[in-house]
This record gives sequence, structure tokens and C-alpha cells, in this order.
Amino acid sequence: MINNITLIWLATPFFIGFVIYLFPKLDRFLSLGVAIFSLAYAVLIFSDRESWNLQLLDSFGITLTIDELSGFFILTNALVTIAVILYCWGNNRTTPQDNAGFNHFFYMQMIILHGSVNATFICVDFISLYVALEVISIAAFLLIAYPRTDKSIWVGLRYLFISNVAMLFYLIGAVLVYQAHNSFNYAGLQGSPPEAVAFIFLGLLVKGGIFVSGLWLPLTHSESQSPVSAMLSGVVVKAGVYPMVRCALMLEDIDPIVRFFGVATAVLGVCFAVFEKDTKRMLAFHTVSQLGFVLAAPIVGGFYALTHGLVKSALFLITGILPSRNFKQLQQQPMTTNIWIALAIASFSISGFPLLSGFGAKVLTSKNLLPWQVIGMNLAALGTAISFAKFIFLPHKQQKEVKEAKLSWGFWLAMAVLLGGLIAANIFYYQAYTLANTIKPLATIALGWIAYLLIFKKLVIKLPRDYEQFDHLIGVMSLILILLFWIVWTRSPVLI
Amino acid sequence: MLEACVIATILCGFIGIIFKENLVIKIISMDIMSTGVIAYYILIAARDGLHTPIISDRPNLDYADPVPQAVILTAIVIGLSIQALMLVGVMKLARNNPTLETKVIEDSVTK
Repeated sequence: MINNITLIWLATPFFIGFVIYLFPKLDRFLSLGVAIFSLAYAVLIFSDRESWNLQLLDSFGITLTIDELSGFFILTNALVTIAVILYCWGNNRTTPQDNAGFNHFFYMQMIILHGSVNATFICVDFISLYVALEVISIAAFLLIAYPRTDKSIWVGLRYLFISNVAMLFYLIGAVLVYQAHNSFNYAGLQGSPPEAVAFIFLGLLVKGGIFVSGLWLPLTHSESQSPVSAMLSGVVVKAGVYPMVRCALMLEDIDPIVRFFGVATAVLGVCFAVFEKDTKRMLAFHTVSQLGFVLAAPIVGGFYALTHGLVKSALFLITGILPSRNFKQLQQQPMTTNIWIALAIASFSISGFPLLSGFGAKVLTSKNLLPWQVIGMNLAALGTAISFAKFIFLPHKQQKEVKEAKLSWGFWLAMAVLLGGLIAANIFYYQAYTLANTIKPLATIALGWIAYLLIFKKLVIKLPRDYEQFDHLIGVMSLILILLFWIVWTRSPVLI
Repeated sequence: MLEACVIATILCGFIGIIFKENLVIKIISMDIMSTGVIAYYILIAARDGLHTPIISDRPNLDYADPVPQAVILTAIVIGLSIQALMLVGVMKLARNNPTLETKVIEDSVTK
């Protein structure tokens, strides 16, 4: 029974994706239906609380594992997709030159992207994962390049190129695992040669936007249209992160490596985010940092991924309707109070303010850290508070005084889904609300605000962007490969 | 020996991606790299024997392992489609950037 539901759920997005192309008029209804189906499936996973293992075909076939961890990721994916569809609902593309609207092609790609991201969250063998990640690359490229301008095509091309090169390295790793164990299962990473682990992790680090190999992410996520950025930052990068979390939970040897990259990327991302002057770039750098929180404590990574996915997509959707992308201009140009409230709720949640589930996620993560991780993660949390103070302290006015186009109901429905989800997600970890737990995040936020108002608000430092050039990004892959190899090799007991 | 050749192919492709200026040559380098990866799969499949794995009357032949071959077929198809997609993107870009040098495109686009 469960097997059949899972298979139908897995296949529906791809099937509906092509049906949308046949019936362009039904595009939004069909895609919304698929996303709601995913939501129902996630609820089913949580209601059962047992892990399901599926072995399709023979011993060389595909293996799927569905448990609470996948449940959190699938729930994130479903909610973000629903919100994005609602956000796009009112804007139809009528003429081919119209860049603001969305037609059936957009919905088709989005639903295929949704399906392939779902697939990565349940598979536990390297080849199914490879196929799912490559479908993600193609669908994401088509979404990024959707406006068909030179800029969007180049950004998409760059994304496709980098992820494809990374996936070639990943394939080498996968065959080395096969050579050692005659199976592609994740469990085979244990006892594989160190180069296999290095190759596979290089692929996943690049796809997930982790540490230095994730520096392709800011340009890609900031230059896409808002709904696409929300999908990319909210769920698509998690397709690269999830396998690492899964491997860390299955294998003890992998766990320290994943935790190390978690701390490294959390600190690196936040360093860039604090100095950034552009709203969307700041959010993108902040994604790099937040993925570190997911990796730093793999056992509770699912819940953190859920809160981050909801917050980040909400923020990207809001910045899409702000009058400017520059913080300097936004400080002179007040926005309406309604928008500011939505913006502030999201910012408070991500800084870890009580009553919103970002608080629970932060407490849960900090309880599962190892002693050597604590300093780095506290620094990252402080940096988060500083960077989101930029949003919270923006000026705002009542509706009547500001002349602005009226916002569609779709936008508010999307916000209701995402921000409502943030409040509702508190039920997953209501035990967090004790006095001792509350003091630390509040102190962090207060310190962050003081630091922002006294120092960072006036600071004008422009960090160079050379490291984001295409050649450098590819070159850095070889350096990360050497680093990974060294880490795995020095830990491996076989070679001593 | 064969393994060294295969790995050299992969490396050549990778170095080409970094050092060649022209976008089309970069894509061709990527193709060379993926050819290397495919060859590596075939090499590992054939390490125990070269015979086609078909059940027949003749006993005890050294069979090639069918699993990596089956898997790499998927990767070949995916690689092909990604390259086709990339070349379409390049065609579109070529209209305004006839030289197709990545540095030039990057500068003109990110401003």
C-alpha cells in the first residue's frame, strides 16, 4: 500500500508536468494540485512515524528510504512550491515579450523541478541521486533562463556548467564505491577508498552551495526572478545538502566531515552577508550560511531545513516587490507598513526570536553541536542577527502616504502559507520554550542590533567579486577536491 | 596503463574548461571530460572479463559486469541533453557577443 502511494507520488509531478503542456489553460490548477499532494504525503509520513524502506527491482535496483528526516524536507518543498504558485497566480504572460508574467512553460518546469527535488529526498543510492540532481540542473536552468535576456541566459548557463562539471566528478566517485562494494548504496561510502568519498562530496558540496564551492550561488540566486530565487534558495540547494545529512546519519566516519563543512560554510557565508549592500545578494549569501546550520547538527537538520526554507522563500518573494534592491535607497524610500510587518516576521524568525519556529530550530541545533563547533556557530548566529537588522530597521509608512501599486491577493496568500507555516512549525519542538533557552537568542539578537546600529550601518566596505568569476569557480573545485581528499585520508585508519 | 590514460583524458578536459577562453571550446572540453568518465565506467565493468553477459551453454566465461554499463548509459543520455541545451544557450548569446569569450560576456552582463 505504502509502496504504491510512494511510487504514484513520485511519478505524478513528471506526468502532470507534461500534461500541463497539453492543457495550457489548466497550468496553475494542476501544479497546485501536485504541490498539495506532496503536502498530504508529508503529513502521511509524520502520522506514521516509522521509516519505510523500498527495494525496487532486484538487489542492483533502486532503494528508497522514507522517514521523518525526508518528511521535513518534503514538507518544505511542498509549502514553498504552493507559495510560489500562489505568488505567480495573477501574473499571466500574454505576449512572448512580456517578462513579468508566467505561462504554462514556467509552471511545467516548476512542477518537474518539484518532482525531482522530491526524488532526491527519498533515494539512498548514488545513481538515483545522480539522475535526480541532473534533472534538477536542467529544470533550474530553464527557469533561470525564462526571461530570455542575455543576462539570464548567461547566469543559467554558468549554473548548468558548474553543476555538470561537479556531477562528472561525482560520477567517478560513484563508480569507485561500486568497485569496492558491488553496490551503489549510500552505506558503501564506509570502506570505500578516500578518493571515492572526496569525489562524491565535491559533487554534493557544489550542488548544495556549501563553503567555497558554493560561491556560484549568490549571483545565480540574486539575478533570477523572485519566484525562481525563492524556489532555488528555499528547496533546490537542499537537494545537495540532504544526501550529506543522510550519509552523516548512516555512517560515523562521515559525520565529522559534514559537521566541519557545516561550521566552515556558516561562518564564511555570514561574513559576506554582513558586508553586502544589495538585498537579494545578502539573502543569497545568507543561504550559504544557513545551510551550514543544517549540516552542523545532522540529526536535527530536517527541522532547520524546514524553517530556513519557509523564511528564505518568504524573504525572496518580499524583496521582489520592494521598490529597490539597494539598502541605501530603501532607507530613503519608505515601504508600506503591511509589507514591513511580513518582512519583520520573517527576519525575526531567522534571527531566532521566540514564538517563531526559527527559535526552536536554533535551540535544537545548538543542543546537538559538538564542543568544537560552538564558537563558530555562535559567531554565525550573531552575524545573522546583524544582517537581518538591516531589514528590520528599514523605514515604513501607512498605506495612504505611499504611492504604490496595489499588491495582488496571491502575494498575501503566499505570505500566509509561509509565515503561517513558521508559526505552526512550533509544534514540532514546543519543548524549547524554557527560560534558559530564551535568554541566549534574545541576547544574540540584542548584541547583533547594537553592533549593526553602532558599526555596520555606517560601514562602507565593498568586498571584491573576483572569486565569483567562472574560471575561478571551476578552479576552486580542484582545490576543494585536494582538501577533501586530505581530510578523508588523514582520518582513514586503513592507511596508517 | 589504461586507467592512467582514462584519468589523463578526464584531466585534459578539466584543464581545458579552466584555461580555454572561448565558450564553445569550454563545452567541448566538458564533453572530453565526460568521455573520460564514461570510459572509466567501461574499464571498471571490464575488469573481470570481456564477454557479454548472456546465459548460454558455454560454461565459465569471464563476464563483463553489466551494471556499470547500464548505469553509464543514463549518464550519456543526460550529458547529451545538457550539452544540447547549453549549445542553444550559446547560440542565443552569440547574437550579441560574437567572440563568445567568457570574460567579455561576464563583464558585459554583470554590469
